Amino acid sequence: MKKKSRENVIEISGLYKDYRSDGLAVHALNGIELAVEKGEFSAIAGPSGSGKTTLLNLIGGIDRPDRGDIRVSGMDLNSMNARELSELRLNRIGFIFQAYNLIPVLTAVENVEYVLLLQGVDKTERRERAEEMLCSVGLENEMKRRPSEISGGQQQRVAVARAMVSNPEIILADEPTANLDQKTGSALLDLMKKLNKESGVTFLFSTHDQMVMKRAGRLIKISDGKILKGGRGS
Amino acid sequence: MIVFLKLSWRNVWRNKRRSLVVITSIGIGIFAMLVIMAIMNGMNYQMIDNTISTSLGHVSIHKKGFLDNMKASYGFRPDKGIYEKIEGTDGVTGWAPRVKVQGIVRSSEASQGVMITGIDPAREKGVSDIYSYTSVEEGSAFLDDPAAGDVLISEQLAEKLDLLVGDRLVIMLQDSKDEIVGDALTVRGVFRSPIDSFDKYVIFTGIKRLQNLAGMKNLVSEISVRTDSRDSSIDVKVYLDRFIEGPDVIVQSWQEMAPSIMSAVRLFDAMMFIFFGIVFITVIFSVANTMVMAVMERFHEIGVMKCIGTRPLNIFIMILFEAIDLGLAGMAAGVISGVAVNLILAVTGLDLSIFSESMRVWGTGSVIYPLIMIKDIAASVVVVVLTAVFAAIYPAIKAARIKPLEALNFI
Repeated sequence: MKKKSRENVIEISGLYKDYRSDGLAVHALNGIELAVEKGEFSAIAGPSGSGKTTLLNLIGGIDRPDRGDIRVSGMDLNSMNARELSELRLNRIGFIFQAYNLIPVLTAVENVEYVLLLQGVDKTERRERAEEMLCSVGLENEMKRRPSEISGGQQQRVAVARAMVSNPEIILADEPTANLDQKTGSALLDLMKKLNKESGVTFLFSTHDQMVMKRAGRLIKISDGKILKGGRGS
Repeated sequence: MIVFLKLSWRNVWRNKRRSLVVITSIGIGIFAMLVIMAIMNGMNYQMIDNTISTSLGHVSIHKKGFLDNMKASYGFRPDKGIYEKIEGTDGVTGWAPRVKVQGIVRSSEASQGVMITGIDPAREKGVSDIYSYTSVEEGSAFLDDPAAGDVLISEQLAEKLDLLVGDRLVIMLQDSKDEIVGDALTVRGVFRSPIDSFDKYVIFTGIKRLQNLAGMKNLVSEISVRTDSRDSSIDVKVYLDRFIEGPDVIVQSWQEMAPSIMSAVRLFDAMMFIFFGIVFITVIFSVANTMVMAVMERFHEIGVMKCIGTRPLNIFIMILFEAIDLGLAGMAAGVISGVAVNLILAVTGLDLSIFSESMRVWGTGSVIYPLIMIKDIAASVVVVVLTAVFAAIYPAIKAARIKPLEALNFI
């Protein structure tokens, strides 16, 4: 039986990005070709300095490429200005960071609600959706706690809830388990996978953790700014 | 917008000690501003009130040019029925006719140039405070008969002329025909007013005695009118002006008679605002420094906020609110403490007796009752909010311009 083809939410071709370090050019990305389909649960794996984070930053519109095209949800990022990229990040992309990066003065529920507030969702709906999302990541008892009052694993679950609550098309996660112990990291991965299955949201995360690589639906191997395996050029 | 207010307020308290230092410095600035302003207001208005209640009066009816040349020839005959008109004017609490002539007072020890003021003792009690300033010790008493040969002099003058109650002195003056005339009078009482120059320069006798001596018959130099407040003097003046006949007689309020007092008050205000300007320039730098530090400390966090879609304008507003929060907290502390201290001092008074001689030169009295005004509190609120906003503009722009990528790589 022929597998049903799905639309690409990320399409990258001929992507180059150089940085200057001590006056020398460092080729962070060196001709990346990549396509990610809607609903994939993919991991970008590679050693430190291989270009994983740079690639995620470019897909998220946080950085600009030197050459090459990036299309996210059919939109050409090169033609978008800073404000349009900000809107794209707000409405279509969820971010999960290695260091959780929650707003320390807001409680768990307020952190999740914050994104909805930026989207202009009304107060009652905002609170309902934020609470529902926190329940789905198993934090129904930690809603009123601030980040400093909960564990690292719980903080990362809040970050997942924050990334998911706005119903984005893609979630970009930069080494989401790197700061967590094996057990907590594994539980977080289970959670992300469950959300991926239930909501169909595309997950693209970077990692150099073998356990995470094994559980990814698709493994994209990257080294010296080039995709070695799993790129499926667009 | 509310979430950014909430965020800013919580951010203020992330570094409690630093915020408290800034809030305290703003609070002390506001407190000092309100207390000093209130004391200056109190001094200014006590000086005005003392001048009004000793010599000036709230409103005066006199001949044009009289204030520049107080001679018997400047007497005028009050219009028929003018006293009834004054009596029936809204806001008038008292009136009294006076004769004022410059002259010399002599004792066996010394002589002194003075303003000899003829008063109707009964009416004068309702116009000036000379009665209350008169000593009732060692036989001293206020005048009672406008025709008697009694005189009231200041303690200061009595000391200079070496006179006691019951002693006699001689006054000499130019009468209405410019002839030099004199009279011997008995010291009936001594007074001490809060104004040094007044005590040095003014003596009182009965109005009829002085009219006779100066050949003025029933003429008076002025009719002094007391009103229920400083501010109603203008209305009373305008009202009375309608009843005054004859081109030479005019009605003037205290503001017109003593423009130098109003100039002095305005000068004090201007000096205060310069002083407060300097204080608040230091506050601007204190708030700006704190906000720059707060932004730099949260460089990474602000970058993350921008990553997840926070707009630069929202970041700008959040930082601006933080500065305004600091300013308003400092202002609340300053206003509450400043108003409380002023209210207490307004009842107890601020006793500056140790500077009593200097205070007498200023004419304020040695106990100052601070006077806090709504406009001063409003000015402090406006100044603080503007200061906070002004101080926060640079750090807020800096925060709004943070690039997410740089911030994410910033540790």
